[in-house]
Amino acid sequence: MSEKASGKQELTALQEALAAEHAAVYGYGVVGGRIREGRRTEARSAYDAHRARRDALARDIRDLGGTPVAAAAAYALPFPVPDSAAAVRLAAQLEDRVAGVYSDVVRATGGERRRSAAEALREAAVRAVRWSGESVAFPGLAERAATGSASATPTA
Amino acid sequence: MPYPPPSRALSGPRRRSLLAGAAGAALLAGCSSGSGESDGSTSGSPSIAEKVRARAARDSAGLVERYDAVIAAHPAVAERVRSLRAEVVRHAEAFGGTVGKSGATASESPSASPSPSASATAPVTEKDALADLAAAERALADRRTAALVDVPGELARLLASVAAAGAVHAYLLTEGAR
Repeated sequence: MSEKASGKQELTALQEALAAEHAAVYGYGVVGGRIREGRRTEARSAYDAHRARRDALARDIRDLGGTPVAAAAAYALPFPVPDSAAAVRLAAQLEDRVAGVYSDVVRATGGERRRSAAEALREAAVRAVRWSGESVAFPGLAERAATGSASATPTA
Repeated sequence: MPYPPPSRALSGPRRRSLLAGAAGAALLAGCSSGSGESDGSTSGSPSIAEKVRARAARDSAGLVERYDAVIAAHPAVAERVRSLRAEVVRHAEAFGGTVGKSGATASESPSASPSPSASATAPVTEKDALADLAAAERALADRRTAALVDVPGELARLLASVAAAGAVHAYLLTEGAR
């Protein structure tokens, strides 16, 4: 494939990841407002982590000559989030979604960007399981997700 | 951060779905670019890719053996680690390896065990055994994260995912246990 085509794929994947990070930052704002106090610190550090990733992606996109996609003014939540339990479920979904886009960034990029995307995928997967308690065999790979997931049973 | 209640919040041109639309797009991207151009932007040489894949299969098979050793020595933890072991079996298979029911591998014997200290005997205490497993999972995840820079895109994506799963296992074997 041509250099140009792969560069375009790279940019597309990074923009998708940035859009997901924008959504995650917004989503964690909601999570932070609803989650019980005992887990608020964890939500806060996840929020910070996503902001940092968002900023790094925007830099990468600019370096490639692109214009980083903007955040939406607001996002429709996938389900109502009236309480802490729903906030935890939302956080887990946000992480799953982010893991999915980073796996595509890994495929579309190389070198340091790929390594960094793999790190981001790994961090998202660990946060997802902290929220959900459910391990999946292939984090971030939607095409392998349907074949069943094992659940571990953390006491937290 | 305040957010508008769902009832009156669903219109407006700037409003996007937090998950559904975007997730659909990701799914599409995953499928469409999955096969035809499988080698993505960075194409390592086929032989390196094949080596990395074979190594990954062996490593996962070796990890399954360690799980089996821990389960054999500490039946009390079997319930807890069985689902993780099952995922490691799926990892080995995804890399083209096979794992027998007992954990014996059909591929070559795992020449490189996931952590230096490892023979397939489990430590004496449950806690140490789980900590050892966690360390092995983590070390392997680190190695895979390092290796994925040198291989074609599709294999790199799989390695990244399996490395992430390894980190999750390490977490569940240690933090999750408390």
